[in-house]
Amino acid sequence: MITRKALPRRTFLRGLGSAGIALPFLDAMSPAFAATVKAPVRMAFFYVPNGMIMDSWVPSYEGKFQALPRTLKAMEPYKDDMIQIGNLTHNTGRALLDGAGDHGRCSGSYLTGVQVKKSLIDIKNSISFDQIVANEIGKQTRFPSLELGMEDARQAGDCDSGYACAYTNNLSWRSETQPLPPILDPRALFERMFGKGVPMTPEEKTRQAKYRRSILDFVTDDTHKLEVTLGPTDRRKLDEYLSSIREVERQIERVEKDHSELDPQKFGGGTGVEKPYGIPADFAEHFRMMANMMAIAFQADQTRIITFLMTREGSSRPYRELGIPDGHHPLTHHRNQEDLIEKVRQINEYHVRQFASFVEKMKSTKEGDGTLLDSCMLVYGAGLSDPNAHLHEDLPTIMVGKGGNYFKTGRRVVTRRETPMCNLFLTMMDRMGVKVEDFGDSNGRLEGLDLA
Amino acid sequence: MQFGRGGKPSAGAFFDTDFATVDCVLAVSLLHGLQGKNDCRVAIVTMSRPNLQVAGFADALERFYRGPAAVFAQVPPIGMRTAGKAGDTPAAFTVPFDKKNAEGKPVLVNKVHSVIETGDPNTLFRNYLEAQNDQNAFFVLAGPATNLAAALDFKGVKALLVAKVKYLVIAGGSFPGGTAEANVKADVTAAKKLIAEWPTPIIMAGSEVGAAIAFPGASIDKEFAATPDHPAAAAYRAWKPMPYDSPSGALAAALYATRPKEGYFKVSEPGIVTVHDDGRTSFAPAANGKHQYLMADSAQQEKVVQAYVELASAKPVIQQRFRPPVAADAKKPADAADKLVPPPQP
Repeated sequence: MITRKALPRRTFLRGLGSAGIALPFLDAMSPAFAATVKAPVRMAFFYVPNGMIMDSWVPSYEGKFQALPRTLKAMEPYKDDMIQIGNLTHNTGRALLDGAGDHGRCSGSYLTGVQVKKSLIDIKNSISFDQIVANEIGKQTRFPSLELGMEDARQAGDCDSGYACAYTNNLSWRSETQPLPPILDPRALFERMFGKGVPMTPEEKTRQAKYRRSILDFVTDDTHKLEVTLGPTDRRKLDEYLSSIREVERQIERVEKDHSELDPQKFGGGTGVEKPYGIPADFAEHFRMMANMMAIAFQADQTRIITFLMTREGSSRPYRELGIPDGHHPLTHHRNQEDLIEKVRQINEYHVRQFASFVEKMKSTKEGDGTLLDSCMLVYGAGLSDPNAHLHEDLPTIMVGKGGNYFKTGRRVVTRRETPMCNLFLTMMDRMGVKVEDFGDSNGRLEGLDLA
Repeated sequence: MQFGRGGKPSAGAFFDTDFATVDCVLAVSLLHGLQGKNDCRVAIVTMSRPNLQVAGFADALERFYRGPAAVFAQVPPIGMRTAGKAGDTPAAFTVPFDKKNAEGKPVLVNKVHSVIETGDPNTLFRNYLEAQNDQNAFFVLAGPATNLAAALDFKGVKALLVAKVKYLVIAGGSFPGGTAEANVKADVTAAKKLIAEWPTPIIMAGSEVGAAIAFPGASIDKEFAATPDHPAAAAYRAWKPMPYDSPSGALAAALYATRPKEGYFKVSEPGIVTVHDDGRTSFAPAANGKHQYLMADSAQQEKVVQAYVELASAKPVIQQRFRPPVAADAKKPADAADKLVPPPQP
């Protein structure tokens, strides 16, 4: 007779104060003899600004991947999990009588599919498709969605030719007028994920810092109680999961320690903007910390929707770590000067390398019979293609993960020219279980991506 | 923003055709000639039959006129319907690709080998209408009404037509009444729908207009010769044995649409066009009717022919919309300004 009761999927390790740690999916959460529990489908958007050098992004072929083009080289180990989509277009990023401001328009409309209002004060966009999904399925997870970024969360001011910074510094929009500013600070994200959902009070921070205690220390009792009920596989899985959380904590502590010893004016990476305490000066380290927490958020089913603004559209961030002191945006107006084009290529490659490290993390994390990546749709892309020409067609787009054994990966798919990017969003909404007939300027669903 | 520093731009021209007659090719050239004189801006060219070879020629013709993608601009795709019959592929659409230059390279390159290199007509109508100022665009139809009738049911297009388009000029029908004309007959259902539901005034250039004022084939070896390797001239030569003069229905429609006040043609009083089941068309005067038809004016024949030839054979005027690229070895801005080469198409 089977008497074992399944562990609830929404089990938390709880402790004193604000600590509360959601668990990854464990075998013990499946009722005995029950069919394998299907992992939820997740989606994330990784946005990179200022377009791409397209001759290093687009391969010379369609269909099954052969050697990847230069910018995508870091994705070589994961190309069997990836689809590259050609010819997707955001018409709403074009001027359409509104004059200059392609950067403001293309990022503002990237997930909303409408042309944003050219204004510094009277901001008007539309609900982004990730938020439509969040409104439908968000109640199933602790956070309906997470909005993250790495550079700039200013909302006021002119960020491009009369377009408010709200358009360049946010990907997700809850409504026409309400953007969802990204969390930039790893500590703030950590506390959001493992605290009460809000940053810790000063007293809590002081108490934790004073005793240099890990968030895991607060849940030790619960952890021990749980461990004795688990089999060896689950114990190993739990240990790996808690270790990954501890690793993130250590990274944050190290950065905060380093920052306390550095001139804060230098943290901005040369942008002249002082970075908040806790944000690493090093781009790759910052990305790694955010990416690790994204992986944990998916693993523990804290959310199924993430948008991530790697740097904001129009960013003039220099990449000194690559030996490039020039601003990213000015470089992209290279006027066909090969030395400038080469620098942009290096920046494009650098961004993809960061993304590849996240894909690696997702692929190496087991879930059920597969990996965490299998259930995901991780879209990496830009709102411009050729940055020198400010083109809004053939937007650089890759999607990694099979979306729950749905997408036929390992190939390049090219749609008809001017195919709306919103068609991809409709297809993704289908996969997320949200049926919408029409979104933005869509003219149908994106065909030819699935296994059929 | 209503208008930029340059004031109100010239009207956007939307040309939909099946390229079933050679004057459709010449009409594209004529519209670009008019663009060179700042009388219009060619927005898009769309095709109502799924023929990749013809689309490839149309695309090459567009690239011939527009040059490589300019900064902040691009060469739009040819819109091509994917349903229906491909129809004939006259040699005019293949022969121009055969010619090689002194280095043995083709003078005209076909870049359309698959449907993905074309665009969906409805999507293109919508996207490029959104880029027009209010009441500052026109449509020219020189072929079956299939695409335009379908566009009326596409999300958002009808409202855009009302807002942006002043009129539609159709090369088709026979007026004030006559036998069934080929363009109407090719898709009577679509023609009926278009005439009944199109929200702007419609001006018909019936087959009798195109027959009355022929395009002079002799100009192909004279005026067109000023532009070496002109694709339209190559197509004209390959269409049928030279010399021949071509009916000019599509040219008449394009010319009137762009320069309606030049007096090239007589225009009927307002009325209502009816499309009959057998493809015949008829016209009934009506004070509030939104249809009119063109009539050839013998007094203007010379002027019309001159316009056809001069505009269709005009050399391409590549529009440079932004700073020219800097030559790699340029030392000072003046050097770069001497080398105005648009950047290559990505």
